[in-house]
Amino acid sequence: MRALMIKAQGIKKAYNGRAVLNGTDFVAERKKITYILGTSGGGKSTLLKILIGALKPDAGEVFFGESDITKLSERDLDPFRKKIGMLFQHGALLNSFTVGENIALPIREHTALDDMIIKIMVKMKLELVGLRDFENLQPGRLSGGMRKRVALARALALDPEVVFFDEPTSGLDPIVAAVITKLIADLNRLLGITCVVVTHTVEEAMRIADKIIILYRGKVLAEGTPREIRESASPLVQQFITGSPDGPISFHASSKDFREDLMVE
Amino acid sequence: MKNLFGYIGRVFITFLQDLSGLFYLFQETVEQSFVLLSDRKKRSQARLLEYVDEIGVRSLPLVLTVSSLFGIALTVLISFQLKEIGGYSYIPGFVAVAIFREMAPLITAVIIAGRVGAAFTARIGTMKVSEEILALETMAINPVRFLVVQRFIGLLLSLPALTMLAGFTALFGSFLFGSTRLGIQPDTYVRETLDVLMFKDVYSGMIKASVFAVVIAMIGCYRGLVIDGGAEEVGRSTMLAVVSSTLAIIVLDTVMTAAFYG
Repeated sequence: MRALMIKAQGIKKAYNGRAVLNGTDFVAERKKITYILGTSGGGKSTLLKILIGALKPDAGEVFFGESDITKLSERDLDPFRKKIGMLFQHGALLNSFTVGENIALPIREHTALDDMIIKIMVKMKLELVGLRDFENLQPGRLSGGMRKRVALARALALDPEVVFFDEPTSGLDPIVAAVITKLIADLNRLLGITCVVVTHTVEEAMRIADKIIILYRGKVLAEGTPREIRESASPLVQQFITGSPDGPISFHASSKDFREDLMVE
Repeated sequence: MKNLFGYIGRVFITFLQDLSGLFYLFQETVEQSFVLLSDRKKRSQARLLEYVDEIGVRSLPLVLTVSSLFGIALTVLISFQLKEIGGYSYIPGFVAVAIFREMAPLITAVIIAGRVGAAFTARIGTMKVSEEILALETMAINPVRFLVVQRFIGLLLSLPALTMLAGFTALFGSFLFGSTRLGIQPDTYVRETLDVLMFKDVYSGMIKASVFAVVIAMIGCYRGLVIDGGAEEVGRSTMLAVVSSTLAIIVLDTVMTAAFYG
């Protein structure tokens, strides 16, 4: 079996002429946890959407196994999509369905299994995230952390090879965030699932990542094991992982000179 | 002046984009409708009857109230003119033809565009904003089949039925007013109506209602699916859905009336 799961090369994407990704490369190895770190607006979410085939890049290719998913039509993407799971930032559970129905949805859609068996599978997935008693509740009645765990159970419903996480711990209290981080680590260690996580929480990445990629202004700034990243000599990387407001990364997003901008002709 | 041309150009291009988007959605919806209807498991999951209930049955009180009042208003209106020449016996025929050919399809469709079409946009738009539709796509579930088809079929079943009921209710309103206030004999009223009203008047109205159902369902769902942004966009898009489907209904109504009876 090949060690590479996902390989993206030279990804470019611009919105209204503003380049968000500018020739980004990305590699995720099989059965490893890969973290994508970066400043807000640095192109992390865009990269993630391109990796799952929800967005077509302006240039570049994304290989999942042997096939380039950027060349596939919407319909041809379906077999690929059945092999991946995605945890959305806010869960993206269907609000008109109960927790159990949400998890059963992909199973019902893609298998011919009996209702009885689906029910058992749903219970197993819920047990995995520790929410077995919540099967019949509406998602609207759950807390943010619980919703994310249910969404994770749904992402795992079809036993995917890869699970993508979009900001899995943002907006959660430290304990719930730690629980989610541990869940990600467990999925990887116990079930051998390849995990790709987008976040801006440095400590979380340092704790469980096999590899970290730091995106800055649409390009890969640094790449390596948590240890390599921590020992990086680059002042940009150091500013990012220590979270210092002073350094080469300025908080001004505009490229134009301020004085020039103020000049009224 | 240059700005004006630029503005008109942009509006025109947006219109063409929307039109091609609507056409594509319609094509996909028809295709997915066959997929859904030919698969027993998926059909039962889609809960089609629930949508007929929500779209059709729950619209009944509003549609019937409006149409019965409308039947009365129409009768009052023409009785002023016919009083001069003593031609009350023309009222039943005129009212029946006007209602079945024109008024029942048009009024029912406009009511449903406001009540149901707007709800489609708001519901689907909210799902789009909260990434639920993206989630469906990543689960390899076709959002058109999952969200649009039931609404499309539900509306296609409900609107002609509602239109038919609205027509009879309006006629009944007119009958009650004519026989109690204008002194038209009930049996004369019924005979006159049956004499004048042709089968074509009724089925042309049903064809209109079916076309309007397609228009309302497609515009309502399309406006929801194309939302890009937040809650503000949902509101704006809902407004746009009601305005554009009402406009489309009136334009198509004129075209079809001309085609059937021109």
